[in-house]
Amino acid sequence: MTDDLKILESLKDPSTKELAFRHLISKYKERLYWHIRKIVLNHDDTDDVLQNSFIKIWNGIDGFRAESSLFTWLYRIATNESITFLNLRKRKSMSGLNDESQYLIDNLESDTYFDGDAWQQLLQKAIATLPEKQRLVFNMKYFDEIKYEEMSQILETSVGALKASYHHAVKKVEEYVKSHETRIEP
Amino acid sequence: MYEEDQIKPDFGKHPQNPFRTPDSYFESLEDRIMGNINEKSKKQSSIKKIIRLMKPVLALAASFALIFMLVYSPIHDFLLKDSVQTTETETTNTDSLNDFSINLASMDENSLINAIFSDDTNIFTDSDQDDFLAYLSSGLNEVDIYSEIQN
Repeated sequence: MTDDLKILESLKDPSTKELAFRHLISKYKERLYWHIRKIVLNHDDTDDVLQNSFIKIWNGIDGFRAESSLFTWLYRIATNESITFLNLRKRKSMSGLNDESQYLIDNLESDTYFDGDAWQQLLQKAIATLPEKQRLVFNMKYFDEIKYEEMSQILETSVGALKASYHHAVKKVEEYVKSHETRIEP
Repeated sequence: MYEEDQIKPDFGKHPQNPFRTPDSYFESLEDRIMGNINEKSKKQSSIKKIIRLMKPVLALAASFALIFMLVYSPIHDFLLKDSVQTTETETTNTDSLNDFSINLASMDENSLINAIFSDDTNIFTDSDQDDFLAYLSSGLNEVDIYSEIQN
């Protein structure tokens, strides 16, 4: 029996549910953390979203039907929570849809836990200017190297549409980096 | 159309992770998450307890409200119609009495005496006679009026 199946079995028993859930958190916390971090950029926001995601997972674990893999399901919850978080911040700040990029860039610049050099900051700014779906696809493909088939289950989008999104995202990021590269101090 | 192998970003550098976390962030994560979950569970169970206790009270209040609406509405409509009719009748009586008192006030003394002692029973028209009777009986109650008629 795979580890995920063992975890799921233990989660069904009320006497072992908490221990099994701790094991689940240990196994997936870092992967989910970095996935969320690339979406919301700021560490404190990531911590909030990660906590909310695991609470949602705890509440919904009894209804998990294993139609997809456990990781796919966890990843999907984390993605949706990240998007919900950003939408909420957008509404609270009363800014328009176009200002999400600026919010993310401001978040990046104010984050004390960003250690990247000028080029890496430029790359992150380029990614921040992408539309939401393209940004998700780009991060999952370029940084996490997730296969399109798995990404399709996480984002509930066809493989063809994901490939098109990634293609357009790469082009936009390349253009942004090249047009702003000369401004980076050596 | 978009083959995986053909999409290679031309950034010139290998992707690295520029982000970091606070020291020991991941080490205490399980405890913090389980602490949050247990706290939320306690809050939810106390809310459920309150709802369970309040349910019969709320059901009773809702029943009373429904009965009140079913009984009040028709009674209110009935009382409203009755008071409108009474107001219209009183207005009519008051108007005719006022007209007759104005007529009497405009008569001089001789005409009034002649009218009282005259044998001519047609001094007043039929409507005037009714108004006159209404005027005379305005100070009488129903018992007095009945007695006058019988006598």
